[in-house]
Amino acid sequence: MGKRSGSKRKDKNKVILPPELPPEIDDDEVDLSDEDIAFYGTDGSNVAPFRRFDKKSIDRYVGRVAGRDEGEVERLYEERQKRKATESSGRPREDDDGLEVDPVDALPTKTLQGELIYNRAKKARSEDNTGSVKSKAQENGADAKQSIKKDEPKGKSKNKKGDDNKVKNIQSQTEVPKGQLHSNVLEEVKEELSAEELFEKKKAQLAELGMAMLEDPESNIRSLNDMLSISNDKDQKVAKLGLMSLFAVFKDIIPSYRIRQLTEKELSVEVSKEVKKTRYYEYTLIRCYKAYLQKLVSLEKQPHFYTVAVRCMCALLDTAPHFNFRENLLASVVKNLSSSDDVVRKMCCEAIRSLFINEGKHRGEATIEAVRLIADHVKLNDCQLHPDSIDVFLSLRFDEDIGKDETEEEKVKPKKNKRWQKNQEVPKQLPVNDKKKTRQELISKAREEVDADLRAVSFTLDPKERKRIQKETLSALFETYFRILKHSVTTSNSRTKVNNVSPGGSHPLLTPCLEGLGKFSHLIDVDFMGELISCLKKLSGYSDRQDEIPNDNALSVSERLQCCIVAFKVWRSNLEALNVDLQDFFVQLYNLILEYRPDRDHGEVLADALKTLLWEVKQQDMLRAAAFTKRLATFALSFGSAEAIAALVTLKHLLQKNSKCRNMLENDSGGGSLSCLVAKYNPEATDPYLSGALASVLWELSLLEKHYDISVSSMASNILSMANLNPTQNPVPILNVNPLEAYRDLSMERELLKPSKALPLNLKKKRRGKEFVALSPDVLQKADCSVDKDELEEKLQSHFAVLRGISENERLRAELNNTLSSINMYKEYKKQKKKNMKFKTGRKKVARV
Amino acid sequence: MRPLDEKETTQVFEKLFKFTGPNLKHLLERPAVEGPDAEPGRYCLRLNRNRVYYASEALVRRATAVSRPRLAGVGTPIGKFTHHGAFHLTVHALDLLAAHARRRVWLKPDTERSFLFGNSVPKSSLARITENTKVGDGVVVMSMADVPLGFGIAARSAQDCRKADTNAVVVLHQADAGEYLRKEEELM
Repeated sequence: MGKRSGSKRKDKNKVILPPELPPEIDDDEVDLSDEDIAFYGTDGSNVAPFRRFDKKSIDRYVGRVAGRDEGEVERLYEERQKRKATESSGRPREDDDGLEVDPVDALPTKTLQGELIYNRAKKARSEDNTGSVKSKAQENGADAKQSIKKDEPKGKSKNKKGDDNKVKNIQSQTEVPKGQLHSNVLEEVKEELSAEELFEKKKAQLAELGMAMLEDPESNIRSLNDMLSISNDKDQKVAKLGLMSLFAVFKDIIPSYRIRQLTEKELSVEVSKEVKKTRYYEYTLIRCYKAYLQKLVSLEKQPHFYTVAVRCMCALLDTAPHFNFRENLLASVVKNLSSSDDVVRKMCCEAIRSLFINEGKHRGEATIEAVRLIADHVKLNDCQLHPDSIDVFLSLRFDEDIGKDETEEEKVKPKKNKRWQKNQEVPKQLPVNDKKKTRQELISKAREEVDADLRAVSFTLDPKERKRIQKETLSALFETYFRILKHSVTTSNSRTKVNNVSPGGSHPLLTPCLEGLGKFSHLIDVDFMGELISCLKKLSGYSDRQDEIPNDNALSVSERLQCCIVAFKVWRSNLEALNVDLQDFFVQLYNLILEYRPDRDHGEVLADALKTLLWEVKQQDMLRAAAFTKRLATFALSFGSAEAIAALVTLKHLLQKNSKCRNMLENDSGGGSLSCLVAKYNPEATDPYLSGALASVLWELSLLEKHYDISVSSMASNILSMANLNPTQNPVPILNVNPLEAYRDLSMERELLKPSKALPLNLKKKRRGKEFVALSPDVLQKADCSVDKDELEEKLQSHFAVLRGISENERLRAELNNTLSSINMYKEYKKQKKKNMKFKTGRKKVARV
Repeated sequence: MRPLDEKETTQVFEKLFKFTGPNLKHLLERPAVEGPDAEPGRYCLRLNRNRVYYASEALVRRATAVSRPRLAGVGTPIGKFTHHGAFHLTVHALDLLAAHARRRVWLKPDTERSFLFGNSVPKSSLARITENTKVGDGVVVMSMADVPLGFGIAARSAQDCRKADTNAVVVLHQADAGEYLRKEEELM
């Protein structure tokens, strides 16, 4: 009978138990069955009623009948459990050999918190009952076994994580009572250990609570409170762990919808039990989440918890941007965007970025909130923030058609909608026509409701809404950008003298702001354009009085170049139809080329500027083209090969477009009638129109032909060959890249060349010595420095060794001389002494005589 | 022939400033290239029979030898004073302005003729325009091959041009190279 009942019990176990107390039991099935067998073995009287129910329940589950009497079964099962509990307390046998584990596992919080947990376990189970009923009702025809199987692996995998902790927990539990028993002896030890134990205990408790939560959030929702109270712990470690585990729990149990406040009407309506349960669950969840967030926000101010709190908030924002209290999360994350702590800042940036990128998670609502918050943040901090806080904007994405006029959109849209509606309605209208009007209305109403529900549930917004959100985001974004620009303008005018020492440091946000403006330039409204351009012009350092270039401009050359680039991009992307000549920016570029220094400024920005301003623009004024040609040739001669090639590519492009400028390639100077009013080339002119470049000769190119870099020299000779062609003819392009690419290629090569061996370098050096006539000292120096570092070091070492030897020799020699002279002196002194002696003795002798 | 008095100078400079802006300084300070002297000095403005001439000091010095009724002109004429005392730039000043002007307008090739016939520039014939052109600025009208064709006054700013309809006048005609044919007698 025992065997039979055991096997039956197993069956039953398979079928019924998992939904009740699902995963805990799976963890150690053997133990449980042992226990159960023991239970059945010892108390045969219990079996009889169970047999009855077993059959029924098995039949029911196999036959897939949604059981009405399931509640009854559960109740009976509960009774059995109760009895078992009382019995097990009466029987010490199982407890002795360490089987205490099982009840702990089966009812996780029982041993830790005594009576209260017992009640709750019961309650939890009863909750669970309804839960399972509900799920069954939902599934209706679904296979119960399947649902059980689904549960199993999840529980197992989660349980494994907690296993270690559980073992520790058991140990601590066994230790604690021992310490109490032998309190006299172990008092001191315990005191010492108690802190650690407490920590372990709390850790274990946390783990257990967390596991329970994850296994069955609906029934264990209240343990969130316990976790919260643990995270209030005085021990910082425990509190941190509490925060982290709470985060882990929330991450998994937060539903994919937003929980809203119930209206009074809804509250007044009588609802079914399941709904009540769900409401209770949601209510608790929300309350705990709120408390948790409040805690995080308050802890954020304490230095110890700073990182942890921010990490939790970032991760929460990342996982649940759709959930309640997103605003609060966002606010504190945005506040930390410009934190001085690198790690925190990175985390926040990543969180915001993912928010921008994964708009599907929150339907773009969070995006606009975040952008607005950042805008406010920038405003509050007077634009003195870390550049990262604006950099995140670069990962924003907008639809292509957002810039179009709204009127156009509206014209198109209704048509589309109509067509869509027609398509939908036409097939359905035919049968409906015959029926009553009321019914039709009802149907349409129902459809509307369904549509609304669908919209609320699905994460894709309808295009109109999406457009609205994007527009608002865009306006907030540009508001920020313009604020930064304005700020930079005003401060660079008023504080120039103060900030002169550290350019760039005074406007930390300007560079990312310009980058962003460049990226979103096609979305800028035309009405802003005039002001924007004038701002950029001011920033780029342009002034009406050309003779006095403002040297006290607070911006660096790269930043000013960037201003020019952005202005061009803005114009080009918006006013393609009307060709506008940005003369002032050309003038600015013309002057900035002279101010460029290879180590201080970014060569790439300059190459980019050459590309956008000179290479991509279709038409160039002849005079201006000539002036730029001349200046670029000079520029190419005085800097490294990468800069040179960028300049030469641009120069070639200019000469190709302006055939008249090819006169500069001829050897006789004086542009003749073309040089207009300026007869003599003025290399330092600030206005390209007045430089008289047409009167000059591009002698630099013949020097560049002998450049050590092959690509530069071949490019130079290619340009020189243009002189022999007809004005309409263009030379065969050898290198059809834009300046930026050319610059990148060569600078990459240079990087690669740096650690090369001495042999090719020597060859190069020889060649250079033979052929290269004039290269600016800058280039030579730079090449040397970059190239023979090792060799140079060796040489210098030997050189200085020799020098040191010489000085040492000198010193020694001087010492030798000194000693020699002193010896001589001494000798002389002795001689004289002797003489004196002789003299004295002589005298004495004389006296005696 | 005499130097301009103060009132006349302001009038002339105001007109020129509309076109050249701060470049006006360059216009007057640049070293002269005319005249037989090795060092011709700078340029100056002279008035002869209501016409204003822009000439190098060397030329002016030599011109003083010629009596006033017999002197037809010296250097480059740039404009004239009307009977009412107003100053008008003439087409002779075109080269000077083209070299020093700050705002330019480029015409589409097939609409150049219309401008050379003395018409204003409508938006439809506009190919390019300098960015920061304001209403009332003097602009030099160029062909797409960068040949100066004439000059005028901007009737719309560069930004308004975008919104304006195609027939709206952008540049009001003042002088064009066609006048050399149309008003030959008047010019000399």
